[in-house]
Amino acid sequence: MSVGFIGAGQLAHALVKGFTAAGVIATHRITASSPDTDLPTVSGLRKMGINLTTSNKETVHKSDVLFLAVKPHIIPFVLDEIGPDIEDRHLIVSCAAGVTISSIEKKLLQYRPTPKVMRCMTNTPVVVREGATVYATGTHAEVEDGKLLEQLMASVGFCTEVEEDLIDAVTGLSGSGPAYAFTALDALADGGVKMGLPRRLAVRLGAQALLGAAKMLLDSEQHPGQLKDNVCSPGGATIHALHVMESGGFRSLLINAVEASCIRTRELQYLADQEKISAAAIKKTTLDKVMQQPGASSAGVASRTGISLFNSNNAPRQKKN
Amino acid sequence: MSVGFIGAGQLAHALVKGFTAAGVIATHKITASSPDTDLPTVSGLRKMGVNFTTSNKETTGKSDVLFLAVKPHIIPFVLDEIGPEIEDRHLIVSCAAGVTISSIEKKLLQYRPGPRVMRCMTNTPVVVREGATVYATGTHAEVEDGKLLEQLMASVGFCTEVEEDLIDAVTGLSGSGPAYAFTALDALADGGVKMGLPRRLAVRLGAQALLGAAKMLLDSEQHPGQLKDNVCSPGGATIHALHFLESGGFRSLLINAVEASCIRTRELQFLADQERISPAAIKKTTLDKVLQQPGGSGLGAGSRSGISLFNKSNSGVKKN
Repeated sequence: MSVGFIGAGQLAHALVKGFTAAGVIATHRITASSPDTDLPTVSGLRKMGINLTTSNKETVHKSDVLFLAVKPHIIPFVLDEIGPDIEDRHLIVSCAAGVTISSIEKKLLQYRPTPKVMRCMTNTPVVVREGATVYATGTHAEVEDGKLLEQLMASVGFCTEVEEDLIDAVTGLSGSGPAYAFTALDALADGGVKMGLPRRLAVRLGAQALLGAAKMLLDSEQHPGQLKDNVCSPGGATIHALHVMESGGFRSLLINAVEASCIRTRELQYLADQEKISAAAIKKTTLDKVMQQPGASSAGVASRTGISLFNSNNAPRQKKN
Repeated sequence: MSVGFIGAGQLAHALVKGFTAAGVIATHKITASSPDTDLPTVSGLRKMGVNFTTSNKETTGKSDVLFLAVKPHIIPFVLDEIGPEIEDRHLIVSCAAGVTISSIEKKLLQYRPGPRVMRCMTNTPVVVREGATVYATGTHAEVEDGKLLEQLMASVGFCTEVEEDLIDAVTGLSGSGPAYAFTALDALADGGVKMGLPRRLAVRLGAQALLGAAKMLLDSEQHPGQLKDNVCSPGGATIHALHFLESGGFRSLLINAVEASCIRTRELQFLADQERISPAAIKKTTLDKVLQQPGGSGLGAGSRSGISLFNKSNSGVKKN
């Protein structure tokens, strides 16, 4: 079985690193493509020994499982480009936040009667094999496809199937979650340094404390509140600390964050469904490179209603911005 | 080598669970003692095959490395009780927050010329072998003692030696840290549930996200701010969420927490050094049991200045 990545950025790099560390697939069976060869992740992927190319079509030909690891607004272009090359064996797995299975199936149905599509939401800790992944199954994907994807993603962390309508909430929680954690860890280290610890030790202790606590919760049947109680001895240091956190509305900030990320995901999805792509959203340079690929045409894009990025009268070089 | 625990509560239970899972010591070589046999952790320890007793002297007699795993205000009583039983082979490791090495050495010097004392600050995730431990070395402890303790504690997580004056700050950060994490995880799960996830899945995903992020930081040479940047795509969901955190002073709350825990630890240490123990701080039942032990006497406590808990003229009548 061969795996391909359309896109060679953070996500592709993290997944490849995790998969190879887990040993679920050999590097020579992985292909990744990107028009932009300057990305720092590209050299990382090369060093890992995977096949790197600038041709998305080449990736498609060499793969059975095809991960779409590009930014959401690039997805439509990619689908138009690779649509004609999809075969029966292909399993398309979209990792793009806010891009629905039905929008992908709709595009691919122009080229094939029963495209096998799945959608997943994962996160960057797959790079250390402690990711959190959920996936939803498309109309024509079979049970074995789900099992295959789950096997791959479970090698790099937690993985479970969900109904598609939960994926935005998952994005808000575990998709964005690592960023909340990095922010917290930076602040905890600052706290340690304020009280006299050297920076390196403070970072280490803070990260270890969070990791240990998270592992305790995962391994326990107890409520997080119960675990919190167990750490708070009467009149002790910890309950004093908790009071200042509660006074500042600590919990509420985290609920706000999950909500904000989820709402923004739905917003982006809505904009994408409307097929109104803000011109500024497509970086001009990226678009140029995408348009230069064989198979990418302005015809596919110009058929959209709303803001038309390409006027068929204009030669490809003059794009409205 | 045998290990003993004075105290059979949360800490002893967590350490024993971790040590045995790590295989660094066999359960039959571990002894734990407590006057209170009703603690839920006592049955847990028994089930693990640890030798359990109500006699601290028995634990001391059977151990080479002796962990003091009782609440800070109980430490003086325990030291008076086991002081006469300490031998040259014993390494005393105090896990009590805010109790200084010098206060322990001072007490034990009444019984022995060169007591080998170490002080450590650990945390509850030792129970899943992902603890965070620091230790400081006492006047008479040798290099091998430090190595031995580090070997034990490294089997259940991260362990490093520090100067003793940093231990209060460590308490504020990684000692109390798990409580900050459990609070955050409860809130994250609430957020997930608000946006439509079933509770169990929300708890699972939140914990996994925190665990994964912490592991990424530990395995990386990069600054947490850089790792945060890498997760925030332009105009995306994550940077929107981060704005809410920053607007609410999220970072400041965590700095406050570390500071508050550290300051309270120093406060408790100061009170203990003053040898002013608030009578209310000692639960009457625990005190009764401690004093009922052979060797536990009111003499050691009554010699303190300040509030005297025991008036020699009132035998058996304790002021509260």
